[in-house]
Amino acid sequence: MRTFSEIVAAVFKISDTEISDSLSSQDIPEWDSMNYLLFIAELEKEFDMSFSMDEVMTAQRLGDIRAVIEARGKKYG
Amino acid sequence: MDNPNDLLLKDISVGDAAFFSRMFTQEDVLAFARLSGDKNPLHLDEAYARTTRFGQRLVHGMLVGSLCSALVGMYLPGKRCLYLSQTLLFRKPVFIGDTVVVRGIVRAKSGSTGVLEIGVSITKDHEEVLNGIATVQALT
Repeated sequence: MRTFSEIVAAVFKISDTEISDSLSSQDIPEWDSMNYLLFIAELEKEFDMSFSMDEVMTAQRLGDIRAVIEARGKKYG
Repeated sequence: MDNPNDLLLKDISVGDAAFFSRMFTQEDVLAFARLSGDKNPLHLDEAYARTTRFGQRLVHGMLVGSLCSALVGMYLPGKRCLYLSQTLLFRKPVFIGDTVVVRGIVRAKSGSTGVLEIGVSITKDHEEVLNGIATVQALT
């Protein structure tokens, strides 16, 4: 099972040492609308969960997305 | 098929499948060579192709792979499809005159983003010649 950070690194093409909860689309060049969709879809598949449309649209930072996964009781690594 | 299916995201479930068949002609290979610019003699020169281990001209791998576009654009999901990515693994050669069967099955669905992951398998005489994963978004 991949971890949250491994999925971030794979989709957004950043090293895991650069990953922090404060990162947003402003900080990650590869964070565009398409990659964000793919990121959410990968998380849903890996953690067997569904985000709501509201959660997808309102998340601004990686920490916001990680918090949703945590709230679902999923282990994200 | 002239008119695409018009599946909404709510109509699609994991496990849904679609399939169709297609025969490749010399005209297809010539047209693809013109469109793509790939005029490699393995596809266009019968005398040259006979000297290779294949013994005859091959259909371009990407031409066979282009049937993935027909699958998602016409069948699953059809009209409301936006291609996001495609992986392809070319497993066996396809020759002019061969008929292949294209099968797609929905492996994952994201309700919030509309992203679908579709596993594609293309077979000839029940042997797999190509497989891949199409990632598409079902547009609303």
